Amino acid sequence: MTHAIDVLEACLLGEGDWIAAGTLCRLSELNLEMLIELAELGVVAPRGYRPEEWQLPATSLPRLRTVGRLIHDLGVNVSGAALVLELLETQRRLERRVHALEQHLGGL
Amino acid sequence: MQYRDYYQTLGVSRTATADEVKKAYRKLARKYHPDVSKEPNAEERFKEVQEAYEVLKDPEKRAAYDQLGANWKQGEQFRPPPDWGSGFEFRGGPGRGPGAAPGGGAFRFEGEPREFSDFFSSLFGGAGSPFADPGRRAGRDHHARIEVELEEAFSGASRMLELKRPKVTAGGQVQLETHTIRVSIPAGVSDGQLIRLAGQGEPAMGGGPAGDLYLEVHVRPNARYQLDGRDVTLTLPVTPWEAALGASVTVATLGGPVELRVPAGSQSGSRLRLRGRGFPGQPAGDQYVVLKVVLPPAATPEARALYERMQRELPFDPRAGLT
Repeated sequence: MTHAIDVLEACLLGEGDWIAAGTLCRLSELNLEMLIELAELGVVAPRGYRPEEWQLPATSLPRLRTVGRLIHDLGVNVSGAALVLELLETQRRLERRVHALEQHLGGL
Repeated sequence: MQYRDYYQTLGVSRTATADEVKKAYRKLARKYHPDVSKEPNAEERFKEVQEAYEVLKDPEKRAAYDQLGANWKQGEQFRPPPDWGSGFEFRGGPGRGPGAAPGGGAFRFEGEPREFSDFFSSLFGGAGSPFADPGRRAGRDHHARIEVELEEAFSGASRMLELKRPKVTAGGQVQLETHTIRVSIPAGVSDGQLIRLAGQGEPAMGGGPAGDLYLEVHVRPNARYQLDGRDVTLTLPVTPWEAALGASVTVATLGGPVELRVPAGSQSGSRLRLRGRGFPGQPAGDQYVVLKVVLPPAATPEARALYERMQRELPFDPRAGLT
């Protein structure tokens, strides 16, 4: 069954936007203990005193979702997932640089 | 629909123990996980592996699947038997994980429950199935990935999204209803940025606010521009005389062509900045232009004569420091 078309204006979340820890946990399929460990490891930088009341930058979500997938799909623990995340990000940065250099060198 | 041989997918025998199934899954998950794999079709293969593991790790689902018999072949035309599901105690539905894009296209919807193949849904998922999840939490937030071209990210775009939502019919049955929304993606959205669509997540059952839908934007790689945050980089070919003598050249930017002053004495690899010509924002990004000096070929007698004259009259040794 198909419903009518709604036209929606999107709200862009940038570096200045914060999301509640509970929402981020649900979207990333992480629990609060995991989030606390990730904060201790420096993967995320929450604001607020009690973890239940933490807020995190909206930009944290893609990283947290990657961590969630690594934990659930590959069975790694939190610190292992944080390490994999860091290595993946380094790999992607280097791949971008290689791509840019190849594009520059191409045809020389 | 086509039969899926879950044992073949995981590469285990029909008598494999739970531990062997788990080991096979872990090995294949590591190989095909979209976050870490470079294998072609990794995402598709990973979904197949996940689906197979979803069934074979669960004793009830595995027992029910085994009842179909061992004579089915992968890809064979299949319909569930009329008495499917009888004799089992059912609990739980499809678990977590990425789902397929409803309607396909340029985005990938990741909701709950995960969307597996029609084969899986006919046996273990979907409304009316004995394995379907009987109770769902209300008003949950959902997440989806959306892919846009770099030019669309710069100037804004719109996308049609098809969302599947459960709806209770007058007869008390739960049906999936497809809801189409058109989303305006604001100009200047950057790679990895989030868009929130309030109230477009899971509808609340029994009152209360619906969840929100978060769209994670992925900007596709572009042949001309490299994107780094809000900055873009473009490689610009220039002639040797433009680099040596300086010149005013036209250079493409995402906002349209501009004139760029190439300083005299520039080299291949020199990096020039066009302030504020990157992605919009507070502050806007910059466009970097990397010069690439391209030599004209010595393909005619005249061109050759010019190179020979340079050889005679320009005392230049680029390898002077290497000997």
